[in-house]
Formats: sequence, structure tokens, C-alpha cells
Amino acid sequence: MGETIAALSVPLVVSLAGLLMLFGKQDYFSAFIQGATDGLKTLVRLLPTLCALLVAVSMLSASGAVELISRLLSPVASLIGLPTELLPFLLTRAFSGSASTAAFTDLLSHVGADSLAGLCASVIFGSSDTLVYILSVYFSSVGIRKTRHAFPCALATMLFCIFFSCFLCRLWFF
Amino acid sequence: MLGKVFGVLCLISLITAILSGNVVSLGSAVLDGARSALDVSLSLCGMMCLWCGILEVLRRAGWIDKLSRLLSPLLRLIFPNAYRTKHGIREISACISANLLGIGNAATPFALSAMEEMQKDNPDKEKAGDEQITFAVLNTASLTLLPANLLALRRAAGSDRPYAILIPVWITSLACTAVALLLTSLPRLLRLPLSGKGARTAAKRRRR
Repeated sequence: MGETIAALSVPLVVSLAGLLMLFGKQDYFSAFIQGATDGLKTLVRLLPTLCALLVAVSMLSASGAVELISRLLSPVASLIGLPTELLPFLLTRAFSGSASTAAFTDLLSHVGADSLAGLCASVIFGSSDTLVYILSVYFSSVGIRKTRHAFPCALATMLFCIFFSCFLCRLWFF
Repeated sequence: MLGKVFGVLCLISLITAILSGNVVSLGSAVLDGARSALDVSLSLCGMMCLWCGILEVLRRAGWIDKLSRLLSPLLRLIFPNAYRTKHGIREISACISANLLGIGNAATPFALSAMEEMQKDNPDKEKAGDEQITFAVLNTASLTLLPANLLALRRAAGSDRPYAILIPVWITSLACTAVALLLTSLPRLLRLPLSGKGARTAAKRRRR
């Protein structure tokens, strides 16, 4: 039911634009073309940033750093009450959507989607995003180099998200 | 800032690759990463064209204006400057609506247009404005009513109750949004430029 609504929202919005082009008084198709062209220009400005970011992320996942840091951090995590299985997922969440999705499915298949770690990971997956990707794409698309307090704030928000979800899952499900 | 992120990631990868004997795969990873930049941009390309085009259509029809008037009680508090100058407020409301509706891939194009509009009011084009930072950090907290991707992944993993996490996700998203809002507006509320250089030039200006 819910997934049908979500799947329907995209075609609905697109058809809305289509209806405007059919019955509207202005030339809405040329408006579409103009918007699309502007979008394309933004994307061209973005490509160099994406290249740098994805090379760094690809190096990180190939180097085995995530496994190594997870192993190093697991005593700390169990000390503060974080399920240690979460670490590979948490470490990739900030950088890369594809790597963290892979870590997430891996985690669910190992510990089960309805275990404490699986539920915590699900809540974190739903309420956080790949912050390094988002911030660098947003700021570099308009040519901003000095991001001031954006990265510290986003990191702090994500840390809060991690602890809050684990706390909430313990209260909510167990 | 991205330079620092790049440097730190490269350094960590190099050291751990040497420590764990993954040096050979590191070389091919560089090339893979560069190629995946093209893959990602190609898939983004269609999205950008489609959603920026539709945004322009809806904007000319005046519907985005109606949407932003609907959201204005909230937006004028969070983005007072964009609200006053009308630069970016429409795109911000479109972005928020797309997120709430679960059209995640439309949110990025809308957000990028919002950043571009807000850049018009940014006095220093190379330095992020306060409201641009608030907007970007708010987007990392991803407020979504129906995280379709997450539900599909949970169902694929064989969960008995894929929907059970929905309300905790909403609560956490709301809490994270509040924290992001609080953190990013602290410097603005206190009128304290955080970066050292900014603080110094501000002090100099005051002395003059």
C-alpha cells in the first residue's frame, strides 16, 4: 500500500507537467527544455568534483580500511553499547551510497532484519544520508570552496543520529 | 574543504592498503573510481534534465509559488533571508515537498537549483552563506515519509515486519532535523564567525 503510493508519486508529478503542456496557455514545453538545459549545465560543473570524490571513495573501499578500522573500533563500540556489527555500515554511510547500501544488505543477511542491530541499521539508513557526497555536490555546484561550519555540523548531526537511533530502537522494540 | 576530505581518504587508504597487502587492488580502484564518476553523472544526467525541466514548468504555472506560500510559516523562520529576497525559497519548498513525497531523485536537482538561487544573495561567492549551510546540512538529515528504498531492502532481506521501523525512522529524522537546525543556526544566532580568518577580518572591520 505505502509502496504503491510512493511509486505513484513520480508518474503523478510528471503527468501534472504533461497536463500543463496540453491545456496550459503558455508554451510549457519550451519551459521544460530551458529548465532541462540549465540542469545539464549544473551537472557539467559537477563532474570534476564527482570524479575526485569517487576516486577517493573507491580507493577507500579497495584498501580494506573499513574492515581494519571496524576491527580496531569494535571494543570501543561494545563499550558504549553500539552493536559492533553496525561498524562497517556506519563507516561507509557518510561517504558512499552504493558502499553503504552494500554494507547494509550484508549486515541484514548476517544478523537478520529484525534483530537489534538490523533494526538500528534500518533506522540509521532511513534517517541519515551520504553527507560528504551531499555537501560536496551542493557546494561545488555553485563554486563555493570555503564551506565553513557545514562539515562539522553535518558530522555532529550524523553522530547524534547514530546514538539516537540505537537508543530509540532499544526502547521501541525490546 | 573537499580537498582535505580527499587528502584524508587517500592517506587512510594508502596506509591501510600497505598494512593489509591490498596495494595491487588499490591501483585498479583509482581507475574504477574515475570511471564510476562518469557512470554516476550519466545516471544523474537524465534526472537533472527531467526534474529541472519539470520544476521550470511548474514554476511558470505558478504552482511552486503556491507551494512555498503553503510552507512559508516554517520557511520564513528557517531561511529569513531567502524568504525576504525570494531567491531560492521556491526551490527550497519544491525540494522539501519532493523529499516528503519520497521522490528522492528529484530532491538533488531541486536542491542544486536552490543553492544556485541562494548564491545570488551570497556576498562572498567562494564562501558558503549561512542559509546555504543550513539548507545543505538539513538535507543530510533526509526527512522522508516513505523511504521506499529502505522498505524494499528490508523486504528483500526477509524481514517479517518491513514497516516496523517506519515510526522510529520518522522520530529519528525529526530529531536529527532539529539538531541540524540548532547546530547550523548557532553561529548565526551568536553572530560568531567560526573560521579563524573570518573572525579576524570581522574584528578588523569593527576596529575601523
